[in-house]
Amino acid sequence: MDVKKMFKEGLLTKNPVLVQLLGMCSTLAITTSLFNGIGMGLSVTIILICSNVLISALRKVIPAQIRIAAYIVIIATFVTIVDLLLQAFLPELSENLGVFIPLIVVNCIILGRAEAFASRNGVLASALDGLTQGIGYTAALVIMCVVRELLGSGTFGGGILGGGEGIRILPEEVSALLMIQPVGGFLTLGVLIAGAQWLVRHLEKRKQEAVKK
Amino acid sequence: MKSRVSIPRLALTLLLITALAAGALSAVNAITQERIAAIEQEKILEAISQVLPDGEDAQEVALSGNTGLVQAVYASASGYAVQVAPSGFKDTITLMVGVSPEGAVLAISVVSHSETAGLGAVCAADTTAGQRFRDSFVGLTGSVAVSKDGGEADTLTGATITSRAVAEGVSAALAWVAENG
Repeated sequence: MDVKKMFKEGLLTKNPVLVQLLGMCSTLAITTSLFNGIGMGLSVTIILICSNVLISALRKVIPAQIRIAAYIVIIATFVTIVDLLLQAFLPELSENLGVFIPLIVVNCIILGRAEAFASRNGVLASALDGLTQGIGYTAALVIMCVVRELLGSGTFGGGILGGGEGIRILPEEVSALLMIQPVGGFLTLGVLIAGAQWLVRHLEKRKQEAVKK
Repeated sequence: MKSRVSIPRLALTLLLITALAAGALSAVNAITQERIAAIEQEKILEAISQVLPDGEDAQEVALSGNTGLVQAVYASASGYAVQVAPSGFKDTITLMVGVSPEGAVLAISVVSHSETAGLGAVCAADTTAGQRFRDSFVGLTGSVAVSKDGGEADTLTGATITSRAVAEGVSAALAWVAENG
C-alpha cells in the first residue's frame, strides 16, 4: 500500500471531480461560498470513509448478485445519519446544502469507489482510499468555491469569515452575478478540468524526460 | 465471483443488512429528533415576533378544511401572524405575514426559500434592499400586487417571479384574515 501515491492520485492524477468526472451535480450546484464547499466536502469524505470501511469489511459476506443493493443500503444509511446530524447541530449548513445532502446517496463517487476499490481491497486500504478521494473532492470544491465566490460576490470565506458575509475583496459593483449562477459553475469547472489535465500531462512529460536522461 | 448462492440466502443477507441499517437510523433519529424539532419551532417563533409587536404571546389558531396557501395562523392581541407558502421561482417560499385586526399588513418575514442568490434571494436578505422590499408591503390591504403589475408593492430587480410570489402569499394571508379574523 503506497500512501504517498494514493494521496497523489486522490488530489490530482485520479481526482474524483477533475479527472474521473464523478459527482458533477453537487459540484456545480453548491460551490457558491467557502462554507458550502468545506461542509459538502467533509460530509462526502466522512460518508466515503465509513461506507468504504464497512463495504470492505463485508466484501466476503455480501454475495455478488446483491452487492449493488447492499451498497446502496449501506451508503443511504450513512447519508441519512449525516443528514440528521447536520440538521440538528449545523442547521445553517444543512439549509444551504439543501437537497444535495440526501443526494449524496446517488453521488457516483461513493458507489464508484465502493465498486472499484472497497469491494476488492482490505479495510485499511479502503479507509485510506476514502480519505484520499474525499480530500481530492473537497480540494476541487474549495477551489471552485473560492473562484466563484470571488468573481461572483467579490468576497472570500462566505458563511465563515466576516460574520457570515465573507471578507469583501472586490467592490460590489465589480462582481459578476453570472459566476454564482449555474453557468458560472460550468465555466469554472471547465477551466479547472483543463488546468488539471495540463498539470497531469506536464508532470508525466517531466518524468519521461528524467527517465531518458 | 461465480459462486452459486441460493435465493433464500440472498434474501436473508439483504434482510440482515437492512435490519441493521434500520437499527442504526432509529438510534440516530432518537438523538437528533428533539433538537431538529426545537430548531424548526424556534425559527417560526422568531418570524412571528418579527411580524407582530407582541409575537411572544401569540397562540396558534386551529385551521380546518382546505386553507390554500395558508399553512398556519398565530393570533395575538395586536393581530395575526399568518404563515403562507406561495410557489417561488424554484421552490415554495415560506412567509410569515403580520396582519392587523383591521386587515392591513404589519410586517412580513421570510422563513425559508430557495430563490436565486443575488436576485430572488434579496427578498429574504438582511440588507437595505431586502428590507426596503419587505417594507413596501407594510400597510397594504385587500389584494396585493407588485409595481410591475400595477400594484403598490415593490418589484425586485430581475426577480419578478419571486416578487409576485411574495405578493400572492401576502394576498392569501390578508384574505384569510378578512374571512376568519
